[in-house]
Amino acid sequence: MKKKLKREDKESFFSGPPKIYRIMKLVCLFLIVSMIQVSAATYGQNSKLSLSGQNITIEQLLSRIEDQSDFSFFYNLKEVDLSKKINLNVENKNIEEILNSVLKGTDLTYTINDRLIIIHKETSEKNLITNIQERKITGKVTDQSGYPLPGVTIVIKGTNAGTITDSEGNYSLSKIPGNTVLVFSFVGMKSQEISITGQNAINIVMKEESIGLNEVIAVGYGTMKKSDLTGSVSSVSSKKLVAFPSLNVTQALQGRASGVQITTKNGEPGASSRVRVRGGTSLNAGSDPLYVVDGFAGGAVPPSGDIASIEILKDASATAIYGSRGANGVILITTKTGKRNNGDKININFNSSYSVNQVAKKLDMLNGTQFAEFINDIYTNEGKPVHYENPESYGEGTDWQNIIFRNGAIQNHELSASGGSDKINFYVSMNYYDDKGIVINSNYKRYSGFSNIDFKVGKNIKAGFRMFYNRSYQNGVKSQESCGGVNSTGVISGALIMEPTVGIYNEDGSYTLSTIGNVNDNPYAIATENTIESVYDQFQGNTFIDWTIIKDLVFKTTFGIENNNNRYGTYYPMTVNYGANVDGLSSIQGIKRTTFLTENYLSYSKKINDQHKFNLLAGCSYQKYRNEDWTANTNGYLTDSFLYWNLDGGADYMEDYSSLAEWEMLSYYGRFNYNYKDKYLVTFTGRYDGSSRLGKNNKWAFFPSGAFAWNIKQEPFLQTVDDISHLKLRLSYGETGNTDIGIYQSLANFSAVASIINEQTVNGVVPSSIANSDLSWETTKQTDIGFDIGLFNERILFTVDGYYMKTEDLLYYVPLPEYSGYSTSLQNIGSLENKGLEFGLNTVNIKNKNIGWTTDLNISFNRNKVTSLKGGDKIYSRKPGHLIGDNTNILREGSPAGTFYGYIYDGVNKEDGSPIYRDIAGRDTDGNLVMEPDGNVNSDDRTIIGNPHPDFIFGITNDIRYKNFDLDIFLQGVVGNDMYNFSRMELEWDSGITNQMASVLNRWTPTNTDTDMPKASSSYSLISSTRWIEKGTYIRFKNISLGYNFPKKFLGKTGIEKLRLYVSGQNLYTITNYKGYNPDVSYNDGNYSLGLDYGSYPNARSYTVGVNINF
Amino acid sequence: MKKDILYKTVLIALTFMVGSCADLDENPIGVLSPESFFNTENDVKGAVMGIYSNMACEEYFGRKYTCAVALLGDACDISDIGTSSRRIVLNNLDPDTSNGMISEFWPRIYKTIGAANSAIDGAESITVSDTEGVNQLKAEAMIIRAYCYYNLVRLFGGVPYIGETVSNVSSISDIPRTSEDEIYKYIIADCEYAEKTLPDKYADDIRCRPTAGSAKTMLASVYLTLGEYDKAEKYAEEVINNADKYGYSLVNDFTELWKADNGDMSEHIWTVDFQAGTSDDLWGPLTGVRGSDMNGWDAFAPSPGLYDLYSPGDYRKEATFVLETPVNGVMTPYTEWTWPRIHFGKYSLYPGAKANSDGRRSGRNYPIFRFAEVFLIAAEASTEVNGEPTDKSYEYINKIRERARFGGTEPADIAPGTMTKDEFIAAVLKERLLEFPIEYKRWFDIKRRDLGKEVFEGPNSIEPHTFNESRHYLLPLPQDELDRNHSLTQNPGY
Repeated sequence: MKKKLKREDKESFFSGPPKIYRIMKLVCLFLIVSMIQVSAATYGQNSKLSLSGQNITIEQLLSRIEDQSDFSFFYNLKEVDLSKKINLNVENKNIEEILNSVLKGTDLTYTINDRLIIIHKETSEKNLITNIQERKITGKVTDQSGYPLPGVTIVIKGTNAGTITDSEGNYSLSKIPGNTVLVFSFVGMKSQEISITGQNAINIVMKEESIGLNEVIAVGYGTMKKSDLTGSVSSVSSKKLVAFPSLNVTQALQGRASGVQITTKNGEPGASSRVRVRGGTSLNAGSDPLYVVDGFAGGAVPPSGDIASIEILKDASATAIYGSRGANGVILITTKTGKRNNGDKININFNSSYSVNQVAKKLDMLNGTQFAEFINDIYTNEGKPVHYENPESYGEGTDWQNIIFRNGAIQNHELSASGGSDKINFYVSMNYYDDKGIVINSNYKRYSGFSNIDFKVGKNIKAGFRMFYNRSYQNGVKSQESCGGVNSTGVISGALIMEPTVGIYNEDGSYTLSTIGNVNDNPYAIATENTIESVYDQFQGNTFIDWTIIKDLVFKTTFGIENNNNRYGTYYPMTVNYGANVDGLSSIQGIKRTTFLTENYLSYSKKINDQHKFNLLAGCSYQKYRNEDWTANTNGYLTDSFLYWNLDGGADYMEDYSSLAEWEMLSYYGRFNYNYKDKYLVTFTGRYDGSSRLGKNNKWAFFPSGAFAWNIKQEPFLQTVDDISHLKLRLSYGETGNTDIGIYQSLANFSAVASIINEQTVNGVVPSSIANSDLSWETTKQTDIGFDIGLFNERILFTVDGYYMKTEDLLYYVPLPEYSGYSTSLQNIGSLENKGLEFGLNTVNIKNKNIGWTTDLNISFNRNKVTSLKGGDKIYSRKPGHLIGDNTNILREGSPAGTFYGYIYDGVNKEDGSPIYRDIAGRDTDGNLVMEPDGNVNSDDRTIIGNPHPDFIFGITNDIRYKNFDLDIFLQGVVGNDMYNFSRMELEWDSGITNQMASVLNRWTPTNTDTDMPKASSSYSLISSTRWIEKGTYIRFKNISLGYNFPKKFLGKTGIEKLRLYVSGQNLYTITNYKGYNPDVSYNDGNYSLGLDYGSYPNARSYTVGVNINF
Repeated sequence: MKKDILYKTVLIALTFMVGSCADLDENPIGVLSPESFFNTENDVKGAVMGIYSNMACEEYFGRKYTCAVALLGDACDISDIGTSSRRIVLNNLDPDTSNGMISEFWPRIYKTIGAANSAIDGAESITVSDTEGVNQLKAEAMIIRAYCYYNLVRLFGGVPYIGETVSNVSSISDIPRTSEDEIYKYIIADCEYAEKTLPDKYADDIRCRPTAGSAKTMLASVYLTLGEYDKAEKYAEEVINNADKYGYSLVNDFTELWKADNGDMSEHIWTVDFQAGTSDDLWGPLTGVRGSDMNGWDAFAPSPGLYDLYSPGDYRKEATFVLETPVNGVMTPYTEWTWPRIHFGKYSLYPGAKANSDGRRSGRNYPIFRFAEVFLIAAEASTEVNGEPTDKSYEYINKIRERARFGGTEPADIAPGTMTKDEFIAAVLKERLLEFPIEYKRWFDIKRRDLGKEVFEGPNSIEPHTFNESRHYLLPLPQDELDRNHSLTQNPGY
């Protein structure tokens, strides 16, 4: 930046029409000046220079000094004449000695401010603090919440005269010319220009620049001004990320950015979320976005409090630089860095919150008497004697939900310190997060530390390192089990299916078991007796060196390692049926993952006569991943006291397991940006990726993209339209890829197995997968058109993007005919598309000293469709394993991925109470399917019965400030999606295997024939039908918080600069017709397994109190 | 200055070369490639041994297949009607096309076939291939393949016949069902090769690997099913006459056969070997008494009239049924159990020392064929061949009745010459019911003798329900298969 300060402007620095960029430069200059004033100016005395030159101008000499040192010169060529030729030969002189000798005999002198040297006429230094009328202006600068802002630069426009505010935000400028304009600027705030007419006191409220267009944001291997973007990028500020206590960034991001759908897996402490940027582009290959933390692809994400900003790259123009990993969008995370504030002051922040959690909803189940009557009904219908002779005697029975749910609590405490000097900046933090779940015996704890240190080495090298470490403990309970049944039932499903007719304990003090259907342990025993623990250690270190080789050319190298160690241990004691069966069952698993990444790139930027700006980037990266996994199991213990810590103490050794998976990736990439007068912007990107995971002949692929943006506001015809402050059109096309598949998928495999011969284990092999020599890359081609509009001096910012993405050579585990002896094969089977519209709207509704109100709205529409499918329909089941029966899902050309499949349920036959499924199709004489009823309901009558993709998703945030109070209301919702409620399938099965929801009280009986609930019967198969499909639409008050900022005078001399207390509530109210606990769940994570719910740990409703303190 | 640029260039070039060390080759550890796997006889042996892991598992002999066949017959009933409906509908002969038991054992049987095909092709592909050892291994895989198809063809009728390693799925993704006749031809061809090639015995006299005796027994069974009684008689008698060579004899104490810890016994011709504590078999808990100390699940129980079909002194009842069992340590008769009815004891009474406390993972070796069956095949076939029971026919059936008496008086011998052909055949079939009530054989007897109407709708039915001959003799093919291959047709009535 510093080098650009002078020559370009020398012709017109003090004259000609003011232009914004010039003002910006001034601002920058004065920023530097202002910083100098508060620091000890020592650089000049210490640097020694050696220079020689014959017959060179003073200007040439100054330029050489700049090249050799950190000094910058500042001068106005109209005023000073530097064309004098001199001869010079000095060794190891300091700058003053050199300048004194060079300027001797001219009318020039200099003023040194640390590294900035102003050359001016001897007589005219006061011109800088310039002409003239003896007028004085004073005032106070505050931020939006009324806090004084120290260090704000105030410049008289068109000059470089000015001052900065003091620690109380006050400033005073004297010698102000008549009609002048003051420019107020501050890092992170929007600059303001105030015309001085007659006033003597001007108070200014500075606004944060978070939505401003001059904001610089990360774009992948670099940063860019938001106004120069050609791609579609959503930004989320740190403030939004910490609006309420959240486990991690993904939780905090839900509903905050357009085009990003986040679904919580479930409500268990420590549970992950599912993130999809612009829909799922794949079926079987991974569809999670790539997380890039401070340039480290796939790096560990620190807690929300340590994050400065998040950019979500959505279109190919933005993501293609990540090539084969960019198809699912890229989430760039920039962590907090230290900055110099107010001298050497160290900024200390303490944030703390405590939340009370409770289950937001309970399901209405049969009570004891109702359950006994229900079972008896089945026996009667089967012509058998009743099972419970006296149903009334069971009364209400046991409410298992009450037994497993409790009040939970979340504590979150963060302490950070940051600061800096001109050589070094630092940010360090500690975080403790503790979530005591709403189900007994479930909790999660995390201790983490983060540090971020940058420093300068010599005059053109910057270096730094990031370190993040984290230990978390999860004490889990089983939920969302993929297969229930004996020994495998989870706590949530267990509480729903367990009959209310028994209590927790038998008379002898042992735990009860289910007395009907499967012999399950009761949910209290499952929750309290079984040990399911995981300990997760994570360490990430990342170093970078930034070397300015020559002017405008920067070489950056990064090197990082991320290491995860996970230990997972389970013990099923003899007090539960499962453990009792085998005298205690213990298992311990270790997983060790290491990612190594190095990136090396050169970037070059050049500006040619103020009209053409170029940016060139070229680099390469190498990444290696290694996963080691080992498990041991034993049973047959004498005592439960070992848990899983004495496997050799068990009599019966069971299966062991270990595996190793490695992949590596090598990439070369380049980017070219061209900017013509800030009006036309062009970006080309290319990445050539090689991945070990693909077949021999397909290891390498090239991913290009191109984009164009037109800053229409810069055109003459719009420059005079004041109401439109910004208008930009963006166009992009690009290709990205996906290699996120397992290893060795293209090879045919034999698996080693242990067979039993004569009670002994012998080695054997069986065919386990079939070769697919044609396996190739999955490629997503994306086109994006976007508009950014700013109105009324950015009071309204509106962004709209339309996109079309087509994924070809779609990877899918094709179910093979079972008679082949194989189950599935990974194949490239077709293509799918995602197209959509995204809208973002930020408005400043009210803005004055006492009241502020801003609204952020985002809304996203995505339509997903399978466009071609080799071999036709793919029908599959996503039901929990123990609910085996017919298939539930289908992939079909022309339909969205993961649609639900089955029969149309037409209620109940009023005569006999049996369920009716609609006859919609039959066969002609040739056996071809015809869509006409044939009087026979069979598999031909299955059809698509639901679409799990929402019509749209949205989030609305309202930030309201009134004096020292702030109010934040955040709503978030999903509209129009269907859910497949597998829990209800089990709980309205109407069969005698489990307890049922109270809705089965309305079942068909000879006296209750007008119903759509079939009669109770033991022989119902679990038919996939519209009966289990529900709308998943919800609108949720995700967060409401009310804060109070204590006024400065109240804090007095406590040393506390800022104190905010707040109360908030999360998930206070959800509007939905969904009959399960909560529609925001993800039972299965695949892209063709959306909208499923079984046994999910409910999301909690929370009430939070918290404090933010800044010293 | 030039030097400086040179240094800088070299340094940057070096860092850019960082990636060139990477070759992106995959060097899988712990994964075997079929192309390079088969080289020696030992490799073929590995492939043959692997097949057994597909048999001693939950989907095949541990639960799904064997339970399905037992439920289809009239001896095995549902106990707790809260058990999974997939079992209830099979017991009622009313499965839908996506029945959860069929959809699990069908793929497993075909996986067993796939493993066998791979071993057979491997045996033919190695350089030194035509040796006795390699041929024996090949024959072993062939008879397992034949046995799998035998099960499929009896349950489903014609099914797709896969007789070689599948290396390209598209070659088989559109094939129709192979006819029953053709499948039986393949079965017989495999068995005949096995009968000529397999050894008479293995080291340690193990019975989980098939021998020439197993092949003969299977041929006898296949021909009995096909109604080619002369061949059935021939093979059955070859087994009986060579019993010493093969090591076959009836175990004197019927109860010993059901003690899981006894492992293979002399009566076993071919078993599926389960390892106690690891292999998953669930017959014990499924038939065990709920709420009692045996901690059973009460899913299946004998059909109500089954117990009374036995003579009062029939010793087989001791091991076949359980009438009282301890509840909280106190011996309690069945009339006081949660589900007050007689239960099966065959699999629940003697689960073995290492079994789970509910009898799961018992280590029991489940019989495919017992020597007792060979006598009953011979008795039935000889009667059919001669148009009436011969002396030998009586001798064969009385061998079984004698053992069942266990030194007592009942069931008494059937005196030679006292029965007509039909009476004798009926007696053999009843003897088979009493001998193998839940050994997954009764349904096949009902089917091959077309007894459906009689045993389910007749006056003496022990498990009465409607029976439709045009539908009920064949199970539906899994709907998944029809969805994946449109050339397959469903069985009538589904």
